[in-house]
Amino acid sequence: MTTVRITTNMGNITVELDADKAPKTVANFLEYAGKGHYDNTIFHRVIGDFMIQGGGFEPGMKQKPAEQTVENEGKNGLKNDVYTLAMARTSDPHSASAQFFINVKNNSFLDYPGQDGWGYAVFGKVTDGTDVVDQIRKVKTSRSGMFADVPVEPVIIEKVEVL
Amino acid sequence: MTMPARTLALFVSDLHLQPSQPHTADAFLAFLAERAMAAQELYLLGDLFEYWAGDDDLAASFHQWIVRAIRAVSDAGVKVYWIAGNRDFLVGPGFAQAAGLSLLAEPHVATIAGQRIALVHGDAQCTDDIKYMEFRAQVRQPAWQQQFLALPLAQRKQIIADLREGSREAHATKSYEIMDVTPAAVAELFAATATDVVIHGHTHRPALHQTGGKRRYVLPDWEVDAEPPRGGWIAVDSQGAITRHDLDGHIL
Repeated sequence: MTTVRITTNMGNITVELDADKAPKTVANFLEYAGKGHYDNTIFHRVIGDFMIQGGGFEPGMKQKPAEQTVENEGKNGLKNDVYTLAMARTSDPHSASAQFFINVKNNSFLDYPGQDGWGYAVFGKVTDGTDVVDQIRKVKTSRSGMFADVPVEPVIIEKVEVL
Repeated sequence: MTMPARTLALFVSDLHLQPSQPHTADAFLAFLAERAMAAQELYLLGDLFEYWAGDDDLAASFHQWIVRAIRAVSDAGVKVYWIAGNRDFLVGPGFAQAAGLSLLAEPHVATIAGQRIALVHGDAQCTDDIKYMEFRAQVRQPAWQQQFLALPLAQRKQIIADLREGSREAHATKSYEIMDVTPAAVAELFAATATDVVIHGHTHRPALHQTGGKRRYVLPDWEVDAEPPRGGWIAVDSQGAITRHDLDGHIL
């Protein structure tokens, strides 16, 4: 079990990654983390009764390039329960790259097979700092250009490091 | 990336976007940013534009504005689909590519949350409007369209302006009944698509009609400067529930 710490300007979130059930997803995530991709990114999409999503944009909604994608490992038995970590993607099931989200309630409709036969791949869970997740999910959000649910005060991910 | 999204699909139609109605265009852009970006699929069910003279009109700044906004939604990962209306049936592959959307033939059956939903603009179901059905039969023919699109853009716009004027006059004399979908056409649509749910626009008579286990959802038109303001959409959520929404998003 690899454990990572997500350091944010609102506190730290410790996450246990499940490399047994989601080997490719964990490897992909650790590679982005190791390259420093997550440094100075934000939680840019926060929906208080759904999930908090980040790892793709710098403050000011400047998107960070993330070319490398990972195969969808949604069929691994892990559920999108509250405080689990999963990969964000587009409607292409294998489009997940760097962006991830933390479920803030049990979102069973995201579990394999989901709506499109693939679901969203869960690859870890928060073991410390659920209170920080709960603070983040309550922040005030607004529209920023074509993006909605953007925190008015940026929630910044300073770094993601392996413990 | 816009997913995970809790809204599986959104449906809008009959915005009749035109430069003289900037507030309606603003409202549509707000809808795209606030709602469409948080959905998995967006279906534009016709008459998005008040008129469309051809894809060579894409360069017009008003059209660029709208197309870019739709493009932002499709670039973010939302699947965007288009069904032609009676006003904008000349939208073609040029527009589709610029906006990042897929053109659908009608009727189209979408399977969303396991439900088969038939989608049409609605004009083809107004079968009592004989004059319109004749006109439609003519202008939907590829040969007619090819010939029309070969005319200079300025000429096409003039012809369309004249048609719109004629349509306004005709509307004044047509009875309310013939400008609605006919029960027979609706029944035929349900049968032909083997669905229990239909969503359409065109008639500007927003409602949910339920008869004998069949549900027909009708979309509103948009005119936010009207008194009262008109607009809204239909959504399918992650549980498969179909809801009708007003301009502010409240469930009707």
